Amino acid sequence: MNLFEKIEPLLLNVQKPARYIGGEPGSIMKDKSQIKARFAFCFPDRYDVGMSHLGMKVLYAVINQRPEYWCERVFAPDTDFEALMREHHLPLYALESLEPIKDFDFIGFTLQYELCYTNILNMLDLAGVPVWQRDRGESIAPIVCAGGSCACNPEPIADFVDLFFLGEGEEVDLEVMDLYVKMRDAGATRSEFLKAASQIQGVYVPSLYDVSYHEDGTVKAVTPKDGAPATVRKRIIENFDKCPAPESFVVPFSEIVHDRAVTEVLRGCLRGCRFCQAGFLYRPFREKTPETICEQSKKLIDNTGYEELSLCSLSTSDHSRIEEMMDGLLTFTENEHINLSLPSLRVDNFSTGLMNRLRRVRSSGLTFAPEAGTQRMRDVINKNVTEEELMRTCKIAFNAGQTSVKLYFMMGLPTETDDDIRGIIELAQRVVDMFYEMERRPKGKPVQISCSIATFVPKPFTPFEFHPQDTREMIAHKQKILEEAVAGHKRIRASWHFPETSILEAVLAKGDRRLCNVIYGAWKRGCIFDAWSEHFNYPLWLEAFAEQGLNVEFYANRPRPYDEVFPWDHLDYYVDKAFLIRENEKAKQAQTTKHCRLQCAGCGVTKVTGHPCFDYSKPLRDLPEALTS
Amino acid sequence: MVPVRATFEKRRRAKYISHLDLMRCMQRAFRRAGVPIWFTEGFNPHAYLMFPLALSLGCESGCECMDFRIDGDMPMQEAMERLNRVLPPDLQILAVAAPVRKHTDIAFADYAVRLDSEQPDALRTAWDAFIAQPEILVEKKTKRGTAQVDVKAQAEIQDVQTAADGLLLKLRLPAGTSVNVNPGLLTDAFLAWLPEHAPEVQTGTVHAERLAILCADGTPFA
Ligand code: SF4
Repeated sequence: MNLFEKIEPLLLNVQKPARYIGGEPGSIMKDKSQIKARFAFCFPDRYDVGMSHLGMKVLYAVINQRPEYWCERVFAPDTDFEALMREHHLPLYALESLEPIKDFDFIGFTLQYELCYTNILNMLDLAGVPVWQRDRGESIAPIVCAGGSCACNPEPIADFVDLFFLGEGEEVDLEVMDLYVKMRDAGATRSEFLKAASQIQGVYVPSLYDVSYHEDGTVKAVTPKDGAPATVRKRIIENFDKCPAPESFVVPFSEIVHDRAVTEVLRGCLRGCRFCQAGFLYRPFREKTPETICEQSKKLIDNTGYEELSLCSLSTSDHSRIEEMMDGLLTFTENEHINLSLPSLRVDNFSTGLMNRLRRVRSSGLTFAPEAGTQRMRDVINKNVTEEELMRTCKIAFNAGQTSVKLYFMMGLPTETDDDIRGIIELAQRVVDMFYEMERRPKGKPVQISCSIATFVPKPFTPFEFHPQDTREMIAHKQKILEEAVAGHKRIRASWHFPETSILEAVLAKGDRRLCNVIYGAWKRGCIFDAWSEHFNYPLWLEAFAEQGLNVEFYANRPRPYDEVFPWDHLDYYVDKAFLIRENEKAKQAQTTKHCRLQCAGCGVTKVTGHPCFDYSKPLRDLPEALTS
Repeated sequence: MVPVRATFEKRRRAKYISHLDLMRCMQRAFRRAGVPIWFTEGFNPHAYLMFPLALSLGCESGCECMDFRIDGDMPMQEAMERLNRVLPPDLQILAVAAPVRKHTDIAFADYAVRLDSEQPDALRTAWDAFIAQPEILVEKKTKRGTAQVDVKAQAEIQDVQTAADGLLLKLRLPAGTSVNVNPGLLTDAFLAWLPEHAPEVQTGTVHAERLAILCADGTPFA
């Protein structure tokens, strides 16, 4: 049943109705009668955020490449439309067919940040699907699944989800759909299907694991049943260069956060910054050849008609053939009036050659992330940026006529002292001083250094997973120090947020299965869109914790011993816990670890892949400047 | 350089594309279609595309206009075919021709409006009473805040029909760059007037469709 007639009368009463009606160029329509399985790909946030997400576009393309499967898009309706949907009993529908997703075979969520969890419950409820997995009964459809970076510790939402995809989804999603069609046609029940699916590498079925706890609330054991594997290993794409990439995107009508063509240039990261979860989760480092990148980019521009191309990766400048890649891209983008934008460039390897190419790229101010204010602190977190490198890069930017620089920092890092906090402002001041010492500095606009200081959130699968997060009081104290330090510095602006969002993020990131009840309680109290400050309601969350006899301090502020069983220990992301412990010990000594291209640190990846991540016999001098230091 | 005036339709799902978004959507369609559109010169060149008359959000139409120039020797018929292949099915070009009239010649637009109701006769009675008022003052957004206008004096009501599921109106309203009146201005005023004067009448959705864009002498603009 197509819901167009029911949707239409509501649309003129909501903000930006184009978000709710689909029909965009590039959206894929199929003949339902030819379809064997339907997948509702749900992004648990608003259209403008979800439509900007590359992972969704990739899986949309991968599933729809199969003629017998149809993947459609679903986003969280904004509160004005949600109210009308509930009032008029309009169930959550997918944007292509405009049909209710409760009749689909799969309802899949992508988990990009922890603060979207209440939206998942809300979307299931709007769809008319029971939010608890145990209430879904034995009929096989719909299977509620989830994947994405937060699936590395899915325990806080384990009781709401039938199965999780760990790691990269391009292959495993289709394997699970194939199995589903086979078993459904043979009359299998939900639990029979889930049992069989748990045998596929990269599939985690939480209902097949019992969790027991010690009296102090820590996890005692996670016990598999019905033949489920004791540890579930993530999936990766071995031949990344040949892996299918979307040839087209759905091009939205209304404005979205990142409205442009995006090409993924590399996966994983070779840097090993100790605070960065993505840097460990997506190992090993793999890159596409410049030829593939140019070909895919060109095809995307041709098929979408976008006027802007952006490159996506954790650290684009670490590509081993970046200059070739840039030359190839600039040749066709300049011919066709396409703007090229380059996020995630690192400050330490901003070579002059690259800078010259970048000057031809339209840029809206430069942003760098030294992450910490003092060299000692940067060594602790293994952010291999020296002050000299930062100064050199800023100088290049100033020479190119820029006068404003945005610097990103964190506070609440392990071993941090008040001096490290003051160091942030002192570092910014030295950039200001350097500007005024330049003889040929840009005239006219005064220099402006903006420092954005986030509260550090320790995450699973990082060397800092053992660390407590700073308490609210400690963060308040450090913010006060910042305030005093920045007073009187006219050319420096410093900004930070209230810490409550970061505290909840830490709790949900490192939480266990008992948090399912807390999330349910928070949602029942009205919490949704927790990532948006205008919606975030911390007191309601605290009530939900108290109701379950739990508290945030246990999850966020407790140091965790090396021998504790963590809620995510039965999930294998290739990186060994022993390696994380070694890195944490080195952090305490402020000792750095070289990046993977210079020397393998033995993180555990090769044990699975069976080969070294790089060809270390290749001389370093053949690599770009950025990778040799 | 070939100047082209395209007539296109905007229906069903495409009705909800705002005017600003339509501009971006068309620019991208030209790139996908491989139609060599003329770019403006200067520091920040952009595709030259003109929409002489905006259509309000949610209003359907089969007579929208868009002007552009082909930079090369592609026949305009081919440009239309190429564009239609890459445009959504609810947003299709119906005709292309060389522009004749100036944008400033636009003076009126005709609309068909359907007001859904399960009590069409009662709605008709209410409408007759509403429209019999000597003047109908509404707040209208202008470039300098809001102004009071008498929408009755501006609207030419060409036809009123009672149908099984509501009321059908045909309206001719001023259009163009200096004065522009959307049918919603009149229907919103009516719906706001109803609860007080005919509280028993329930209404449903309002459908509006632009039927023609006209010049001062009553001839079609394109
Ligand atoms: S195995 Fe070695 S080179 Fe590969 S990701 Fe781990 S530390 Fe880096």
